Amino acid sequence: MSDHDKIYSTKFQDKIERNTLLMFVMTAIAVAIGGIVEIVPLFYLPNTAMSGGDGTYNSTAHKDSKGNSISMDKIVWNPATSEHKTLEDWQPGDGVRPYKPLELAGRAIYIREGCYLCHSQMIRPFRDEKDRYGHYSIAEESMYDHTFQWGSKRTGPDLARVGGKYSDEWHRRHLRYPRDVVPESVMPNFFWLEKMPLDVAETVQTMKVMTIMPFNPVPKSIYTDAYINGAKAQLEGKTDLDALIAFLQGLGNHIKFEEGVNYRD
Amino acid sequence: MEATQATPIKYDMEVVRWFTIAAAIYAVVGTLIGVWIASELAWPFMNLDIPYLTFGRLRPLHTNAVIFAFGGCVLMATGFYMVQRTGATKLWSNGLAWFTFWGWNLIIVLAVITLPLGITQGKEYAELAWPIDIMIAVVWLSFGLNHIMTVAIRKTSHIYVSNWFTMGMIVMITYLHVVNSLAIPVSLTTSYSIYSGVQDAMIQWWWGHNAVGFFLTGGFLGIMYYFVPKQSGRPVFSYRLSVLHFWALTFGYVWLGAHHLQYTALPDWTGSLGAAVSLAMIIPSWGGAMNGMMTLSGAWDKLRTDYILRFLVVSLAFYAMSTFEGPVMSIKTVNALSHYTDWTIGHVHSGALGWVAMVSFGAIYHMVKKLWNTEMYSDNLVNVHFWLATIGTVVYIVAMWVSGIMQGLMWRDYDEYGTLTHTFVESVSEMHPYYVMRAIGGIIFNLGTWIALYNIVMTVRQASAVRGVNAVPAKA
Amino acid sequence: MSEKHDVSGVPTTGHLWDDDLADFTNQPPKWWMLGLTASALFVVVYWIYYPSVPFASSFFKGVGGWSAIKEMEADKGEVDAARGKFEAKLKDMTPAAILADSELTEYIKRSGKVLFGDNCAACHGQNGAGTKGKDGLFAPILNDDDWLYGGKIDNIYETIAGGRQGMMVAHKDTLKEQQIDDVAKFVKALSEEGKDKADADPAVAAGKKVFMESDCTACHGTDEHGIQAMGSANLTDKIWRFDGSLEGIKHTITYGVNSGDPQARIAQMPDFKKAAKLSDAEIKKLAVYVYKFGGGQVDSTPEVAVAAPTPATPEKAAK
Ligand code: HEC
Ligand code: HEC
Ligand code: HEC
Ligand code: HEM
Ligand code: HEM
Ligand SMILES: [Ca+2]
Ligand SMILES: [Ca+2]
Ligand SMILES: [Cu+2]
Repeated sequence: MSDHDKIYSTKFQDKIERNTLLMFVMTAIAVAIGGIVEIVPLFYLPNTAMSGGDGTYNSTAHKDSKGNSISMDKIVWNPATSEHKTLEDWQPGDGVRPYKPLELAGRAIYIREGCYLCHSQMIRPFRDEKDRYGHYSIAEESMYDHTFQWGSKRTGPDLARVGGKYSDEWHRRHLRYPRDVVPESVMPNFFWLEKMPLDVAETVQTMKVMTIMPFNPVPKSIYTDAYINGAKAQLEGKTDLDALIAFLQGLGNHIKFEEGVNYRD
Repeated sequence: MEATQATPIKYDMEVVRWFTIAAAIYAVVGTLIGVWIASELAWPFMNLDIPYLTFGRLRPLHTNAVIFAFGGCVLMATGFYMVQRTGATKLWSNGLAWFTFWGWNLIIVLAVITLPLGITQGKEYAELAWPIDIMIAVVWLSFGLNHIMTVAIRKTSHIYVSNWFTMGMIVMITYLHVVNSLAIPVSLTTSYSIYSGVQDAMIQWWWGHNAVGFFLTGGFLGIMYYFVPKQSGRPVFSYRLSVLHFWALTFGYVWLGAHHLQYTALPDWTGSLGAAVSLAMIIPSWGGAMNGMMTLSGAWDKLRTDYILRFLVVSLAFYAMSTFEGPVMSIKTVNALSHYTDWTIGHVHSGALGWVAMVSFGAIYHMVKKLWNTEMYSDNLVNVHFWLATIGTVVYIVAMWVSGIMQGLMWRDYDEYGTLTHTFVESVSEMHPYYVMRAIGGIIFNLGTWIALYNIVMTVRQASAVRGVNAVPAKA
Repeated sequence: MSEKHDVSGVPTTGHLWDDDLADFTNQPPKWWMLGLTASALFVVVYWIYYPSVPFASSFFKGVGGWSAIKEMEADKGEVDAARGKFEAKLKDMTPAAILADSELTEYIKRSGKVLFGDNCAACHGQNGAGTKGKDGLFAPILNDDDWLYGGKIDNIYETIAGGRQGMMVAHKDTLKEQQIDDVAKFVKALSEEGKDKADADPAVAAGKKVFMESDCTACHGTDEHGIQAMGSANLTDKIWRFDGSLEGIKHTITYGVNSGDPQARIAQMPDFKKAAKLSDAEIKKLAVYVYKFGGGQVDSTPEVAVAAPTPATPEKAAK
């Protein structure tokens, strides 16, 4: 190999171009930096909804219009401080809670059917999105969403706050044959979901997995062993459609938002 | 060693031939599924009430088929082709290359089975189930190792610029795939990401953008740097530009993921960080496009007769366009409008059809001629394909620009009373004509890929009829 | 070697790959080098202006004072300039008072379109024209003057704010099949022949007897006009919520409405206050908007539903 060539870049660049290992290492360093800067701080900075796993939060802080910190108690439901102690007692407004068994099963169907490819679950802080969909979404609201479902395309409307907007029966009709109720819709028919019995064992297993997540697990004080064992009874005899509707009906009403409070920083 | 090879080198090209043919087939399949899902949005009955064919299950199949089956096979075919020829050496391990070929195709087959069954992890472009993810990691590493080792045993003093880009892609995709796919299984087919909410969103779009940036862009720039000079018979316009282009892209692209998350529940700093670098990215990207275009300067006359060169030129034009559009879409006020709309889809396909698919076919045609040591069965059909691809792409992206901007404007339109003017379903029904137009554009594009496949198959048959072909590829 | 490509007088780097691959030593164009420097500077300026740099326990907020929330507040200010005066006025008024104010009513006619279209039309159809399914209407038509719960502005407001869920018990255990058959025929006659004729029609006398003697009158009244307080249907008109064929009527009677029976007819109007998606002002606006579909009733009108369907809504006639 001749080394006498004139170098038209820099000595170091020339060295890189001649040395495979060096090029490999330099590239590996160059591509690592941006990701580290953007991702790592989200695991420790405030307002990124990282749970300690026991119902406590690492320095999440929301301020009201006067700049006073508002209590986290009503943002993330914590059975230790809430007057409602179990998932079944939980009321809208008590704060973000983990999914109930049927909802968790429904969420799996939502992912399976690819609903996130047409529906977002992330209301941005814009006046029109507020008027159309409700209060903007905040980090805590998807903290239990292992694989977030924010979506990137609105072929259909945002669903972040669809819970309670329609009746179960409406969802049943709409999901089976969307054009029966909304003639303009381009959503696929999902009538077969009604005939599919829920996978109970898998849902129970999913609950267990949710408690061992390294980040934002469901606290064991909420998914207690007894609760997980009792889930079976709630799931038995249900269909995929029932589960999906339960999931949709639970979306977006966990926090009671107050006017004038900045929930983002 | 800088000198021309005196005796022809025996390269390991059989595996490249197979990857090339596979790529041509997946181009047909992937865009056909694209046409199908485009039709589903235009005419919902096209879902056919068959669970496996509904939009939500076919769309991931489309994205996986075009990116990983078509794009992946193109990258591996060209990667193995270029690394040997520019290093004047055989592959480090021919056997390992065959492992890569069969492994990759097995993964594709599994994708074709599992995605319609609804087996998915629910992350865009990373839908495949965890056991397949593990296979991807293994097969990808087999490709990466073989490529890098072949670079290492090259006979030339310097590593050719194409191989820089391919290596960059190999390194980054490995990072991305491993970090983004970490999940806890619930069953053999189902698993849940270990991340949630905000962190998961950032990691997913760090992956999502860089799958675009390193797989669909970096890897294909490597292709551009080899095939444009080769096909035009001209040296790369500027070595310094290559160096700057490479490092700016490699270092810069990684930061862009956050532009997919502006105004979401992430803290404000993340989106701005990504947006700033995205805007700055115009210059390096255009540097690359210019390096390609200027390489051709002086060979413009060839465009009249060399249809393969046309693919390469037009791909560079679309590359320049989509890397201008992308930064524009990263501007806060523009993203506020474009995000969630068909504008994004238009942007995707100006990059995917105009850039990725065009440059791929340029490379495929070039390689077919060299690999089988023959002329194309029909140059006219190459030209027909070229026009179908160009027209199809333009029809597609124009439709999506109009529908995307319309959606964005309808959703936010207020009247003089300060109230919203349009309901959501109004926007849905207004989209219909554009969805039809997009489907037509897609059909035109897809037609081109059939012609390409036919032409390639006929070329290969013709060449094989003349003689057994495991022979040495012709000298350029 | 480099001379081979040296068309423009610029040499190549001297490296050669694959027979003829080389690079010219051209400098990148000046404008491009300037652009590269400028874009690096731009990134720094952008980072200083906008919140962008994460630290150990917080992040740099940017000298421009921008935040997504502030941007939203500013944008809201713009539309508030247009709608603010109406909204402020509306805030403390009762729905009835709003209705009396022609300017506000005009405002609501405009602003109600999307509110209704995005929240209500899924059940009540565009402009309240109803959505038809196999089992009849999914929810009542709102642009006619037939009201289950009353068409006065306060009734409508209550319906939206609190939701509605009419209940009719299933009769499969309390009535024999024959009785259900009879009473269904009577009910159909009420609608088809009109109340007076049906009352006197000997062919349906058996059904009339069942009607009067079982629990039907408790909810639908002895005049079969229904009771708006409980949302029971007026059975003497030609308007059918559910399937109005004889089979359909029998089904309604056998399984009831929201009775808990798996085959019961389902009718549930969501509680929009509880769903917490709509503000009280929005609910008031919707009440006025629905009233203004044309079927709203003024306070002094007696609470009697009209017997004949209005020509404007022919879809409502029995199939
Ligand atoms: C092809 C795209 C597409 C897919 C896939 C899709 N939807 Fe939809 N969806 C739409 C469109 C368009 C609308 C608006 C028209 C309508 O209401 O049907 C809609 C509306 C909805 C609504 C009513 C929202 C509202 O506020 O009015 C719900 C709920 C819904 N979809 C749920 C789902 C679920 C759950 C899935 C997956 C099982 C799904 N969608 C899959 C396109 C889709
Ligand atoms: C999930 C479906 C659904 C939605 C959404 C819905 N409604 Fe209803 N609505 C119903 C049903 C069902 C009834 C009849 C209840 C009954 O029969 O007890 C009803 C009844 C009514 C009535 C009473 C009609 C009468 O004859 O007395 C009014 C008024 C009304 N809805 C207005 C609205 C408005 C305004 C909205 C939007 C904010 C709305 N509805 C949204 C299903 C719905
Ligand atoms: C507990 C109260 C109650 C009793 C008892 C009752 N109904 Fe009803 N009925 C209702 C209500 C409430 C509705 C309207 C449901 C709706 O539209 O939401 C209704 C609706 C109906 C309808 C459907 C009207 C339409 O427009 O589709 C028929 C028919 C009917 N009732 C007949 C009867 C007969 C016959 C009996 C006695 C055997 C009876 N009902 C007993 C409460 C009652
Ligand atoms: C005939 C050609 C094609 C047609 C008709 C087509 C059609 C489509 C359609 C209808 C969608 C869904 C859009 C939506 O959800 O609104 C889509 C998504 C996508 N396609 Fe294609 N496609 C084609 C070719 C390609 C090619 C060649 C590539 C890549 C090399 C590609 C990459 C993608 C990607 C990445 C997405 C996801 C976009 C997003 O999520 O934002 N497509 N395509
Ligand atoms: C400098 C270059 C580029 C920049 C800055 C850029 C920027 C962007 C932006 C801002 C979005 C929209 C994000 C959103 O609102 O959700 C986007 C989406 C996308 N772009 Fe680009 N882009 C660039 C080049 C390309 C190229 C060349 C391709 C294709 C080969 C491409 C493929 C995509 C895809 C697939 C998406 C859709 C992601 C999704 O939402 O699913 N981009 N890009
Ligand atoms: Ca997307
Ligand atoms: Ca995966
Ligand atoms: Cu991106």
